[in-house]
Amino acid sequence: MNSKLSSGLAIAFVAAVAAGCGGGGGGGGGTTPSNVGENAKTVTPGQAQNAKGNVNWCIGKDTTGAFSQVVKLHNQQNPNVKVKLTELPTAADEQRNQLIQRLRAKSPECDVLGMDVIWTGEFAGQNWLLNVTPAINARKNEFIPSTINTAKIGDKYWAVPFNTNAGFIYYDKSKVKTPPSTWQQTFSMAKSDGGFAFQGAQYEGLTVNFLEMLYAAGGTVLNSDGSKSTVDSPQAEQVLTQMQNNIKDGAAPKANLTYMEEESKRAWLTDKDVLLRNWPYVYAQAVAAKKNFGVTPLPKWQGGASASVIGGYNLGISAYSKNPGGALEFINFATAPAAQKKFFIKSSLPAVLTSVYTDPEVKKKVPFAAELLKGVQQGKARPVSPVYPQISEAIFKNVYSALQGTSPKSALQKMQSQINAALKTF
Amino acid sequence: MTTAEATVGRVRAPHRRRGLSERQLAGAMLSPSLIVIAVVAAYPIGYAIWLSLNQYSVRVPGLSRWVGLDNYLDALKSSDFWNAFKTTFIFTGISVSLELVLGLGMALLMHESFKGRGILRATVLVPWAVLTVGTAIMWRSIFEPDLGFANQVLDALGLPGGHVVWLGQSGYALAVMIFADVWKTAPFMALLILAGLQVIPNDVYDAAKVDGATAWQRFTRITLPLLKPAILVALIFRTLDALRIFDLPFVLTKGANDTETLSLQAYQTLTQDRLVGQGSALAVLTFIIVMAVSLLYIRFVGGNIRTLSEDT
Repeated sequence: MNSKLSSGLAIAFVAAVAAGCGGGGGGGGGTTPSNVGENAKTVTPGQAQNAKGNVNWCIGKDTTGAFSQVVKLHNQQNPNVKVKLTELPTAADEQRNQLIQRLRAKSPECDVLGMDVIWTGEFAGQNWLLNVTPAINARKNEFIPSTINTAKIGDKYWAVPFNTNAGFIYYDKSKVKTPPSTWQQTFSMAKSDGGFAFQGAQYEGLTVNFLEMLYAAGGTVLNSDGSKSTVDSPQAEQVLTQMQNNIKDGAAPKANLTYMEEESKRAWLTDKDVLLRNWPYVYAQAVAAKKNFGVTPLPKWQGGASASVIGGYNLGISAYSKNPGGALEFINFATAPAAQKKFFIKSSLPAVLTSVYTDPEVKKKVPFAAELLKGVQQGKARPVSPVYPQISEAIFKNVYSALQGTSPKSALQKMQSQINAALKTF
Repeated sequence: MTTAEATVGRVRAPHRRRGLSERQLAGAMLSPSLIVIAVVAAYPIGYAIWLSLNQYSVRVPGLSRWVGLDNYLDALKSSDFWNAFKTTFIFTGISVSLELVLGLGMALLMHESFKGRGILRATVLVPWAVLTVGTAIMWRSIFEPDLGFANQVLDALGLPGGHVVWLGQSGYALAVMIFADVWKTAPFMALLILAGLQVIPNDVYDAAKVDGATAWQRFTRITLPLLKPAILVALIFRTLDALRIFDLPFVLTKGANDTETLSLQAYQTLTQDRLVGQGSALAVLTFIIVMAVSLLYIRFVGGNIRTLSEDT
């Protein structure tokens, strides 16, 4: 039986090799940001005006019911375009896999794609998205500027921001009287008053935690045209050395090396730590837990500025959509003030429009709306690149190894060379 | 044998097309299942091999190029691959050995007749019946630092380890992974061995007792040799499974702290980085490794299974 199986495999292998000799194709050639989606079609605002027909919106699970409510509202107010909601899994990685499967198969099933901001560059690079630059330009001053940068490659926009996110420092008011104004102060407080919790496991969250400080210190990941990595800088070394020292001297307990969002939140909620870096969703839970706490946008880097890293979702239009006009019509509806307010209040999905944050009802339901707006305004996008997953992996793996004791300088050298290698990926 | 064949052939001949020999007839009758096997097994394997010989651009849609064995050479030259290789084999070696010892013990216990044996047999199988991802999430929270059950118990009992960050350190993380795997699959091992125990006739033991064999002698001279085929089958199953381990490191550590296995690496490359060619090469290498190990098993111990089953 084994001999038959192995000979069968050998045949399959030989056949594959032989077929390859005949059919090998393709030359080299890379993409620079300016020629991403060179041949992509553009959707214009005019197409949305007379749109009709069906539109399918594919996005992660509608856990609070707000998505379907807005779809229902849309279909009542704009009966010409009939929108249907297709829910993808809850986990972001799974959503991405599901969307990629459909797009690879050129499936017209999804018209509007709900994408984590970090997939936007990748999807645009694969020609899976339609160019929405005119639609963004028509409403540019409504959006918080940092949010549209997550959809920008060169001078083109590939998606419309749907919701946004930024990191915050949560502090225990019984131990911390005044919130820290610099990162350095944050860590010295943590050291004396009882610990800082962050997301230190080896995953995307660690990339975000590192970039927040790196951006504040004035460091960058890529050069301005995105062709080379600039991450190995004195600023980055300063940041990484600080992060390493935090673990060494206990300002950030070693347990952080296993923390993702939930674990770090629990450590802070149960008073293991007095300071926490996390997303806005913690706010409501801390209120529910009757914790005496305060929240502040991410602080400055001493000698630098303050910065945060933008999270959230963008809405893109599939290149395989049969109804791009209808898709844009719905996107405009879902990103208009009324819908944005609904998502913000009902689903705690921070709005992408500046005006929503000053709405009286929002201010009442989201008491820290002002801080949130400030956090998002000081936000920067993660590198918008078709090879972002590899870039992020190079960042979080090497930051992790520095947290475990590798010298920051050599971790950064390795990070830079890995990012450069990723940028050269075929 | 030959006459029987001839007779069957002669009897059936009028109903069949002329010239269809016994062998061809067998082939024809087997062909539906062969086609199914080809479609569900051979095609994907062949396709993965085909993908692994090309590179697919992550930036230019639809662009690909033939690279021959480059993806394999790149993998074999990278330290990441060999780290994953080492991790996979350490994990497999230790966890399968522990599972064998524990599984054997559990099987011997369950083989004895006592009150509540049925309930015990059912209970023992519970870990095996739970989805691995589910148990992995459970272990992840049990081994959470400070708040996790493991550390609280160790702390309360005054044992060392109460402040270890289990999943945050090299060595400890792999130990947790092995522990979780042993907990889950030792019962499966036990079940297979128990089945083997039940076919050993009691007369053999009675005869040995008459001859004055001690319990230990009966175990080493009768139970173990007669149990060999069952143990080998269990070992093959478990080894091949363990070499493909994916869910535990995926949930527990995402490959941090030297817990990245071959399958996890192939997954990361293939679905996260979307490097279809390189990822497929890693998947095919994993396949070849698992295949090689199974061939070794069949080669060195497979004969054993046949002889023993012919003996009984």
